[in-house]
Amino acid sequence: MNTQEYIQSGIIESYVLGMASSAEAAELEQLCLQYPEIKQALTDFESALEANALTKAIAPPPQLKQQIFASLKSEFVTVENKVAEKVSTLTPPLQETNVVKMNQPSRFLAAASIILLVISGGMNIYFYSKFKETTQQYQALVLEKNTLQANNQIMQTKSLDMFNSMQMMTDPNMQKVSMPGIAGKESNYATVFWDMKSKDVYILPNKLPQPAVGKQYQLWAIVDGKPVDAGVISDCAGLCKMKNIPAASMFAITLEKSGGSETPTLSEMYVAGKVG
Amino acid sequence: MEQVIQYSESELILLLSQRNEAAFSYLYDHYSGALYTNILTIVGDQEAAADTLQEVFIKIFRQIDSYDSVKGRLYTWMLNIARNAAIDTTRNKGFQKTKQNQELSENVYDFAGSAEIKSDDIGLRKAVHGLRPEWRVLIELAYFEGYTQDEISKMLDIPLGTVKTRLRAALKELHKLIKE
Repeated sequence: MNTQEYIQSGIIESYVLGMASSAEAAELEQLCLQYPEIKQALTDFESALEANALTKAIAPPPQLKQQIFASLKSEFVTVENKVAEKVSTLTPPLQETNVVKMNQPSRFLAAASIILLVISGGMNIYFYSKFKETTQQYQALVLEKNTLQANNQIMQTKSLDMFNSMQMMTDPNMQKVSMPGIAGKESNYATVFWDMKSKDVYILPNKLPQPAVGKQYQLWAIVDGKPVDAGVISDCAGLCKMKNIPAASMFAITLEKSGGSETPTLSEMYVAGKVG
Repeated sequence: MEQVIQYSESELILLLSQRNEAAFSYLYDHYSGALYTNILTIVGDQEAAADTLQEVFIKIFRQIDSYDSVKGRLYTWMLNIARNAAIDTTRNKGFQKTKQNQELSENVYDFAGSAEIKSDDIGLRKAVHGLRPEWRVLIELAYFEGYTQDEISKMLDIPLGTVKTRLRAALKELHKLIKE
């Protein structure tokens, strides 16, 4: 459509001044949405009319404003009115929610702290019992370790003694005297090692029954047909060092009272062997 | 004192829709003169114009929600309320009697140059005064007295199409005169 022709037709002025028919008004309103230049022409005339009216205005009687505002007084919504309205409607629930809001977190915190305390107490008991158990286990382990260490020490000593005994047994100066079991005690056996240089005597009780309590085996050297005390056999690993015997034709072992006897109890002889 | 607070039209409309007293006070201070002048050009009597203006501002305040900014400016909307209210006032029987009495008293005492404001000197009527007589009468009847074009056609015994054409031409000329 020819918008300029429409704008120039006088319809806009007619519309603004309230003289357009409802059909004309509806058409103009529709065209304003479609054509920005028509809308602009409308606004231009409105602005011109307004500016003209404002500059050539005559003030109404001064008391009129007061009269108008007095009659509208109850209808104004002031900031104070709004606040008062809101407070009056909101105050009761606000207070209620405040009480609940102030209490709920502290109640919750109290409950939570009690629960945590109980949990903490339970944990303390649990950890203390664990601690005690672990301490006991630790002490048992320390004891076991000490025992093992002691046993190890004993074994080391024993093995050292064995080593030393072996060294002595294989010494070329060492004379070996085998002592088999005598008649009736054939299962028994012991060996004498006799250092030909120092004349020291060592005994190896290969196979002898465990002596009864208060009894001890005693070694005898037969010198010129007579038994000479060569010492009692104590609990020793490997070779047991006995007394120094300068000369002997035979060695024998009898079971005597603890500490040994002056003369051998021949009935209790276990093993015997000739030198050479 | 000059108005310190200045509102944009959209701010003003928003605040008015919230029934804000300060905004309404601003609206009154800003537009009461323009609207009063318009009412006065139609009513011609200051007291009746003041009464009409009061009625108009109360209507504006109470009906602000019916204003549609898409259709036009706030002043245009208010002007139409004022014009309709003013025309209603002139059609009121009581008012017509008072008017007649006034005219009579004016005639008797010859009030020329008195405090009475001659409505021909103010507002739109002053611009209308610059139009040719055959256009001026149409604006007078259509705008100031609120007759429909059909009514004018019958009153003046002129074809409706001619009324329409002349009225539009008159309005275009009026537009020019306003802008000057």
